[in-house]
Amino acid sequence: MLTYIIRRVLILIPMAFVICFLVYLGLELTPGDAVSHMINPDAAGSMNPAQLEALRQSLGLGQPFHVRFWSWFTNLVQGNFGYSMSGGVPISNIIATRLPATLELAAVALVFSTVIGSLLGVVSALKRGSKTDSALTVIGMLGVSIPEFFFGLVAISIFALNLGWFPVGGRSMPGYVTLWDRLPHMVMPAMVLSIMLTAGVMRYARSSMLDALSRDFIKTARSKGLPEWRVNLLHGFRVALTPVVVLIGFRLPVLIGGSVIIEQVFQWPGIGNEFISAVRSQDYPVVMTIALLSVMAVLVASLIVDILTAVIDPRVRLGE
Amino acid sequence: MSGPNYPNTRRRTRLDAQFDRIRAREEAGLAKSGGGSRAVKKFLNNRLAVFGLVVFAIIIFASVFAPLLTPYDPNKIDLRGMLQAPSWEHWFGTDRTGRDLFARVLYGGRISILVGLGSAVLAAIIGVLIGVYTGYVGGWLDALAMRVSEIFMSFPQIILVLMLVSILGQSLLNLMLIFTLTGWGGIYRMARARMLSLREEEYVLALRSFGLSRPLIAYKHMLPNALGPIMVNITLSTAAFILQEAGLSFLGLGVPLSIPTWGNILNVAQDIRVLQTNWWIWLPVGAVISLFVLSVNFIGDGLRDATDPSQQG
Repeated sequence: MLTYIIRRVLILIPMAFVICFLVYLGLELTPGDAVSHMINPDAAGSMNPAQLEALRQSLGLGQPFHVRFWSWFTNLVQGNFGYSMSGGVPISNIIATRLPATLELAAVALVFSTVIGSLLGVVSALKRGSKTDSALTVIGMLGVSIPEFFFGLVAISIFALNLGWFPVGGRSMPGYVTLWDRLPHMVMPAMVLSIMLTAGVMRYARSSMLDALSRDFIKTARSKGLPEWRVNLLHGFRVALTPVVVLIGFRLPVLIGGSVIIEQVFQWPGIGNEFISAVRSQDYPVVMTIALLSVMAVLVASLIVDILTAVIDPRVRLGE
Repeated sequence: MSGPNYPNTRRRTRLDAQFDRIRAREEAGLAKSGGGSRAVKKFLNNRLAVFGLVVFAIIIFASVFAPLLTPYDPNKIDLRGMLQAPSWEHWFGTDRTGRDLFARVLYGGRISILVGLGSAVLAAIIGVLIGVYTGYVGGWLDALAMRVSEIFMSFPQIILVLMLVSILGQSLLNLMLIFTLTGWGGIYRMARARMLSLREEEYVLALRSFGLSRPLIAYKHMLPNALGPIMVNITLSTAAFILQEAGLSFLGLGVPLSIPTWGNILNVAQDIRVLQTNWWIWLPVGAVISLFVLSVNFIGDGLRDATDPSQQG
């Protein structure tokens, strides 16, 4: 087991390094460097080119590419992501203030979609070919076909503007501190974010359950004379559920992608919101850092998924 | 119709009923045999897929023949007719500058579908070109292509797309290039995996012993056997790209706002007042996008069931 984990990590490290390098390359290729953002463009026009050059040298911008990359990279590893172009705020501060909001939303959506999605999927598999099954299939298809932001718009228009049940957007009102106060703000974005995920989980859980029900041990359980609900729940569901839960890790990219847009629709002050405004204002260091962190999150998640799969199913690590 | 008498072990489902009908037809000697490909027949038997095909055809038709269906110019500003609710004159109403929304939805469909379908086809061409060859040849070329695709695919797609948009700038062509660049990985992997299993087939061995060149074997003789899953993948990624274009344009980061696309029409719905009072600006377009993507997804599912017997559920 340990050798398997070590081998997986060893594959991951060069890849992470190459991705860091590509992101740095992107950062270098985008227009403007640190100096052009430290100095007001009006002032830069009147400044002596020699002075600007001296400033560049003092910041280490005149050094060869690989030296600059290495210093950027070592800083990155130590958690120093550089500075935002607008206001010069350390990017690590931005991330630290924005991340909790995003994680809060993502966690709720993840739990909700996994529970509801696997339940619906299992029901659909148990009633295979019935009206319920067809209806759920079509609903699932609708869930992945309707743009998430459109769901968001419809939800805002119905529940916030017409019925007034929930606030239109934002994470909390001034003076509201406890989780209970913030809950109404969270309901709509979390539900909308869950919809696409739920549809995906449902389809996966359905085929996983069908697969489990066709195995021999189900026949054995049935021929033992166990009641049908015990066969389905204790034998089928348990086996079917494992891959579904393990696959949570693989849904991370969908979750990240979804939250970028949903946070914008509901003005949720998370990382995705920050990312969009950085893209709009062409604040490249922030764009690149958030992109880099999201890739790293995906890589780590896939590593954890691989390890979990190997723990559950020994054939995986022995087969390689 | 009284069906054959099955021992009553489980409840009868729709599939059973369908099977009975087919059997009854066969017994009556009415079953058609031959004529048309089996996959096509299977596809046409799938109600959802046919529904998808019909809706898809209607929307494509309406976009292509937009000038015949509406007398309005999608970009013509009419300040006297701003924010009109739907009427006989303007079926979907008018927007904040008095542009006819029905015309904008039709003409916008052209661009949105072009971006979706065009990028999907381009991504498929690149993915298939690389995947088919490296999958067949193997070796270091294969390993290299695999690593590169892994790097592309480890980015959440929207993040990578937005990152490239911020570097390359916004334009229609850039957006299609970016979608192609971020989307080839999935189809490459599928084509490669298919080739890995086809590689062991005997006809490939036979072709090799005839001394055919490797590209010829890979592209001419093996590729046609992988076309089913490739078609499925193209339809599904068309749906995904159309959704992404809509999302990006909604945020104002997709196709430049001067070009009408489905996402760009929705862009104004970011304004809460439009959302509250002018439902006709965003509701019909959103419904059209959803309907189109739904139809493409149904077609993709139907194609998969029709071409891949191992994936039925």
